[in-house]
Parts: sequence; C-alpha cells; structure tokens
Amino acid sequence: MKARTFWLVFAHEARVLIADRTLPLVLTLFALLIGYAITNGIVEIRARDAAVASILTKQNERNARNIDQLQRINAGIETPAPFSNAADPANVGGGLGGRFAYVPTSALAPMAFGQSDMIPNYYQVTYRSRVNFMYDSEIENPWNLLSGRFDVAFVIVYLLPLFIFAMSYNLLSAEREQGTLRMLLSQPLTLTKLVLAKVSIRAGTILTCAILIPVAALLIFRPETRDAVSLVQLAAWAVLVCAYGLFWFAVAVIANAFSRSSAANALVLVGSWVVLVLIVPVLLNLAVSVASPAPSRTELATQTRLITVDGLRRYQKLFSADYRYSDKPDLLLPKDGRFEVQSRPKAAFMLQRDVEADIQKLLDRFDAQLEGQQSLVDRWGVISPAIIVHEGLAALAGNGSQRYLHFQRQVATFHATWKQFFEPRILESRAMTEADFAAMPTWKWQEETLRRQLSDLSVRAIQILALVLVVAGIGFWRLKKSSAV
Amino acid sequence: MIRLIAQREFTEFVRDGRLLWAGGIMLLLIVTALGVGWQRQSHLHAERHAAQHLDYEDWLKQDERHPHDAAHQGMHVFKPEPPLSIIDPGIGPYVGSTIWLQAHRQSEVKFRPAQDATGLQRFGTFSAAWLVQILAPLLIIVFGFNAFAGERELGTLRQLMSLGVSSRALLWGKALALAMGIGVLLVPGVVVAAAAVVIESEPGRLLDSALRFLMLGLAYAVYLAITVFVVLAVSARASSSRVALISLLALWIVGVLLAPRVMSDLSRHVYPSPSRTEFASDLSTDLKSEHDKAWREQFGVSTGWGPDLPLSKWGVALQVNDHVGYGVLDRHFGALWDTFEKQQRMQEWAGLLIPVLAVRSLSMGLSGTDFVQHRDFSVAAERQRRVVQDIMSHDLIDHADPLGDRHFAYQADKELWAKVPPFDYQTPSLAVVLRHHWSGFAILSAVLAAAVALALLFVPRRLPL
Repeated sequence: MKARTFWLVFAHEARVLIADRTLPLVLTLFALLIGYAITNGIVEIRARDAAVASILTKQNERNARNIDQLQRINAGIETPAPFSNAADPANVGGGLGGRFAYVPTSALAPMAFGQSDMIPNYYQVTYRSRVNFMYDSEIENPWNLLSGRFDVAFVIVYLLPLFIFAMSYNLLSAEREQGTLRMLLSQPLTLTKLVLAKVSIRAGTILTCAILIPVAALLIFRPETRDAVSLVQLAAWAVLVCAYGLFWFAVAVIANAFSRSSAANALVLVGSWVVLVLIVPVLLNLAVSVASPAPSRTELATQTRLITVDGLRRYQKLFSADYRYSDKPDLLLPKDGRFEVQSRPKAAFMLQRDVEADIQKLLDRFDAQLEGQQSLVDRWGVISPAIIVHEGLAALAGNGSQRYLHFQRQVATFHATWKQFFEPRILESRAMTEADFAAMPTWKWQEETLRRQLSDLSVRAIQILALVLVVAGIGFWRLKKSSAV
Repeated sequence: MIRLIAQREFTEFVRDGRLLWAGGIMLLLIVTALGVGWQRQSHLHAERHAAQHLDYEDWLKQDERHPHDAAHQGMHVFKPEPPLSIIDPGIGPYVGSTIWLQAHRQSEVKFRPAQDATGLQRFGTFSAAWLVQILAPLLIIVFGFNAFAGERELGTLRQLMSLGVSSRALLWGKALALAMGIGVLLVPGVVVAAAAVVIESEPGRLLDSALRFLMLGLAYAVYLAITVFVVLAVSARASSSRVALISLLALWIVGVLLAPRVMSDLSRHVYPSPSRTEFASDLSTDLKSEHDKAWREQFGVSTGWGPDLPLSKWGVALQVNDHVGYGVLDRHFGALWDTFEKQQRMQEWAGLLIPVLAVRSLSMGLSGTDFVQHRDFSVAAERQRRVVQDIMSHDLIDHADPLGDRHFAYQADKELWAKVPPFDYQTPSLAVVLRHHWSGFAILSAVLAAAVALALLFVPRRLPL
C-alpha cells in the first residue's frame, strides 16, 4: 500500500510535468546541449587521432627513407649532405631520426577535453635537452583557452545543476503557493514521501538523459568504447554523473524544506551554485598555488642560459674546429663501420647532455611542485562537488593532469634511453648500420592501470555520495521537523 | 523626485540585508583579488626586469668566440607585466612570457603559467575583472529583479502612480539606486586598484596608465549600466517577481557562461587555426623549398651546407639563409596570428548580443594583456633576434677566411657583442590600443542605447498596474 502511494504521486507528477510542458522543455533543451557537447568531443578527438596518425606516417616514411639512404651510401651510390646523413649517428639521433613520443587518446576522450588543448599530446624526442622541447605547447588561441571548451564535462559540471534547479526550485513552494500542499497532505501521505516521489521523476528523467545520450553516442561513433575495460569506465562515468546530480537534487530539497517563496528558493539555489561551482574552485586554485608555488620560470630561463654558456666554454675547442668536408668529402661516408662525427656535432651532443644533467634538479622541482598542487587539489577538492567531478571526468577521459604527468615522466625515460643509445655511437664515431635502425629505441606508451583509475574514481564517488547523504539527510530531517505547509 | 526614489530604494537594499550579505562577499572577493593581483604583478615585473638586465650583461661578458656560437647562446627576452594586469590578467595565464632568441629559428613565447597549474585553472582566473564581468551582473539581478515586479505584487506600484509619480522618474530613480548599490561595493576596489596602478607604473608612463585606468572604469560602468537597464526592463515586463528572477537568471547563465564557449567554438569553425603538426610541417616545407631555391640561385649548389661550398662563404650563406627565412617566418606566423585576431574580432562583435564578450576584450586591451599586445611583444622579440643574427653574419662576412677553408676557427671579441643593442621594449601606447579597440566602446555604447530603449519601451508613461 505504501509503495502504491509513492507510484501514485510519481505518475501524477509525471502527468503534471508533461502537461505544463516543464519536462518536455527542460529535457529537450538539455538533450540539445549535451548532444552538441558530445558531437564536439567526437569531432575534436577524431582530429587529434588523425594528427597523431599523420605524424606516425611521416615518421615511418622518414625512417624508410633513412634506411634507403644508408643502403645507397653503403653501396657507394650516394654522397650525402652533411646535415642529413643517415650514416651519421649525430644526425640520426637529432632531427633526422628523432622519434615521436605521444599519448594516445583514451576511449572516453570525447567526454572531457581537460588539459588536452593546452599540453601537447606528442613531442619529438632527440638528443636535445628536455628544456628545449618539453615546454612547447599546443597551438591554440589563448582567448579560446580562457573561454573554455563546450564539452560534456562542462555541461555536466556547470549546466546540469542549473537544469536540476529549473525543475525543482519550486518543488514544494509552488504547491504551497497554490494552496495544493495542504490538500495533498490531508491524504495518507507524508511530506518525505511526497518529496521523494517528486525528486524521483525529475532525477530519473534528467539523469537518464544526461547519461544515455553521451554514452549512446560514444558506443555508436567510437568503437573503442565497446571493450570490457571501456564499459567499466563508462559505468564509472555514469555513477559519477548520477552522484553529482543527486547532490544538487539534495540541495534543492533543503531549499524547499524551508517555507520560503519560489523566488527566494531560486535565489538561494543559484547562490549555492555560484559559490560551489564558480567561486570555490577558483579560490582553491589560488590557495593551492600559494601553498605549493611554482618555482620561477624566469629563474629556469636564466639558469638554462648560464649552464649553456658554461658548456659552450667547456667545449670551446671542439666548437671552433672547422668542418672538413670541403677538402675531404670522403668524411661524409662511413668506412669500416666507422663514421667520423665532426667536432661541432660532438660538442653539441655533449653540451645538450650536460645542460640536461645540470638542469635536472630544477626540472624535478617543477614536477614535484605540480604533483604537490595536484595532491592538494585531491585532498581539498572535497569542499566542492564540482571540483571532484570536474577532475574525475577529466581523468576518466584520459585528459586529466595526472595522465599528462604520467606521460611526461615516460617521455623523460624514453629520452634518457634515446640518448643512451646514441651516446657511444656519437662519441666513439660509430657509423649507423641497418641493424642500428632496427634496434633504435621505439616509443611504447604504458597506460595507467585500470585498477588505479578505478580506485581513484571510487574515492571520488564515495566523497560525493557522502556529501549527498549529508545534504539529503539535512533536507529530509528538516522536512520531518518543519510544518512546511 | 528621482533622488528620492533612489534613496528609498537604496535604503531597502541596506535594510533587507541584500547589500550587506551579497555585497559584502563581493567586496571581500574584489579586494582579495586586487591584493593577489598586485602582489603577483609587482613580483613578476621586478623579477623579469632584473633577469632582462642580467641577460644582457652576460651577453656583453662573453669570451672570445665564434659569432655563430654567440648567436646559439642567444638572449632571453622577458615580457614586461603591465601595471593594469593587477586588475585584468587577460590571456596572461595562457601565454608565455619568455623567449629564447637563438640562431636559425623564430621560437615560441614559452612558459605558460597555466602549464604549471592543475586542471582547476580551467575554472577561471581569480581577478577583479573576472568578478566584475561575471558576478557583478548577478548582483545587479539580485538587487533589481523585483524593482517593478515586486512593487506590482505588493500593490505599491498602484499607490505610487496615484500619487502622480511618473513612471519614467521611477525608472531613472531605480536605475540610480542600482547604480548606487553596485557603486558602493566597487568604490573600495577602485581605490585599491588606483593606488596599485599608480605605484606600479613607471614614472614616465603614469599618464598612460592613468588614462587606461579611467577608460577601463568607463568601460565597466557602461557594461554594468547595460545590466541595470536590462534588469529593470525585464522586471517591468514580467508578470511576477518570480518570473522576472527566473528570466534574468536564465539570461545571465546564457550570457556569461554558455554563449562565450559557443562563440569560441563558432569562431574556430569560421576561422580554423592549424594544429601544431600542420603548422610546423607547413613551415618546414616552405623554409626548405625557399632555402633550396636561394642556394641554387646564389651559390649554384643543390644542397645547403654541402662540401661544394667553401667554408669561407659560410658567413654569406648564413645571411642568405636567414634572410630567406625571415619572409617565410613572417608569412606563417603572421597568418596564424591573423587567424587568432579574426577569431577574437568575431567574438568581440558578438558582444552586440553578449556584452560580456565586448567588455572582456576591451578590458584586456586597456589592461595591456590582450593578444594584440602579446603579438606586439613577440614581433619585437623576433626583430631583436634578427638584429643579433644580422650583426653576427655581417661580422662573419667581414672576417671570411682568405684561405677558404676556415669558418669556425674565427673568434670575435667583446667589441662585437657590444654592437648588439639591449632589448628595450616599450609596451604599445594607448593610441595603438584604441586603434584596435575603438569598436569595443562602440559596441558597448550601442548595447547600452538598446538596453535603455528596451527599458523605456517596457516602462511606458502609463505603466500597466
């Protein structure tokens, strides 16, 4: 019998919401926005995939050309130019053969752009020091970076709460204002049950819409999402979105539990949204940057230069030795497995190596600083569900800060391996062989483990659900106590 | 009469606590933002100024060495942080501040602060400009949504009319009250900001800063006035204060939150910018073909830097190479930056419908933190790089080895280093800024006129009761 009254209210509420056009209007608008966002995401990620594919194609062509050239040189058919010589390890270890290290897009990448429009998704790794290539950035209009992107994460974090408010700011206050609340409560129906039924129909429809549309779009247009791991991720995504939605419904319940006017409720709700979604994250960002400040980039620039100057002085002799190709063109050809690497490229290699070693400590400080900030955000993010979800969605999409740090650490390792491979060849003047080309370090991306991702996510989900329980608890307690009629 | 109305209305803001609570928070936020901005600006400015100075000293102190190696050591140039960035850091977090001017290639301005920040950075940058652009309109909505609708519900509107108060006087009085309400909250901020700007300005450019500050104030005043009249118009038209509030909140959300992102997508769609791969590969291809052509024409050789060219010619070759490169670099970077500017211009004109876009662009421009001024710095830095390059190549040509087989053996001394002037960068003057941003003022004025007209239309002489 009790369950029946719930469904009675539920069905009645559904009919009313459809009849007064609230539900169709809100849902259509929301569907349009989230549909636009996911389309945006899919298009963008396709372009990113295509860009990576094109650099890989170019890299493979380049490699084939290099091997081809080497064969011709060895066969005595070609005398190469000094700075594009496949037999010269200094050339191949530099720009001629440098390999791309890239971070592949995750299955859920179209859901949130995260940091991907700012931090590069690939680097060309050569023997040049990391300071020279790690601080490149993706080409994007800074004005647009400032505006932010219209992705699914934006719709969820910013807009979903507002749509929830639009549906429920006058959950009870409207009934009260129309005088129907008294009538309703004269029936065998508690206020709690009434509110639960009202929230259920609203939450059920809008959250279904919020989850179903992006998930369906991904399953149809992004085949990568159909494997088991991605399905688990999609499920985790849905849990996060649901928890976030429920939080805002709970806030709406609290607002309605006080017998204030609909207008006052709307004001209070928007106020809470402004504080939690707009102000708190920006203030936390500020607090975090004060608590764990970035070392000075100006200092880094100055240090880099000083170290470079030092190196230039150290290898002065090598740098002032001339190329001797003009009188001895034979120097451009390998001989008995040896290739005489000229003094200047040798010096350049050693200079870059030393700069790297000396600047390492400073670079480590930057990495440590960013990790410090991130852990502060993870710890304190709980003060706003918007932060938890924003970070969580970016992480699930594989575009969060953590994954980029993970990527940059792998690039550093790959870079070290690369230099190790070329160091003896350059310094001992060993000619490149075909076997070398086969044995050259290749980039292999190591994905973060699913387990780590899920444990990270479950922490977030638990944080939000705890918030939901607290807020909803207060709301319903207040409803029970109040004479809200 | 208008003053009386404004006074009564203002008293109501004070008495019902709206001014104290909503306004108090706003006031606190603005003053904090200015304090943080001030600290950041003065720190960055001092640090970069010192680094710039040190850098040039190191350049002069170089030992005897080959000029091309000196060019490889290069110079760092640092973008000065303008005093008004205390109020509006603009695109600052998303562009770098440092360029290493080295041989061969134009480099990017590096070290974007946002790259040293977590994902939270993307929620926005905490600054006075952000607060006034985003939150001040909300505050005006909170103060003004029931201006007419509330009086109508209470029945006081009928009474007022029966007293012979003209509806227009009511409109102006209420507008004045809203202006006073928001003004009271902004005054402390304005005072702090003015002090900061005066203290941080270089003495020679005080007038420039002061004028920029005044215009900035004017721009924001127009922006807030637009909000005031839109709020009053909606409040007069709405059937109830609830409807007024909901419509205004919807307008606010679309105006400050939704539309800027949609417009940014749209502008990218209309004027697509290349990805980094495309840009780099197009640039390299063009450079290579132009270089090859120059080598063929000048030296009759098919490949650059090959054994066919005697080392004594390398100085000339360096110069030829560089000069061919300049044109290609200008073309490619110019096209990219033009695209950015077109994207922004399109969004600025969208300010006719979404005023926040117009005021944002204008505010950055006046604060010296917009793209135009960033570009000006990048161009100046590249010019400096070319000065260095040209002086070095010239010297190499003058000292080309008569034996024909030496190039790097030559070493220049301190006299040559001193020929390179220090990088003395002057940020663009207000006149340059206005040339780019007059449209912002025009757009905001047009929108204000439209908002006033709307308010007059919705508050006719015979107000519906």
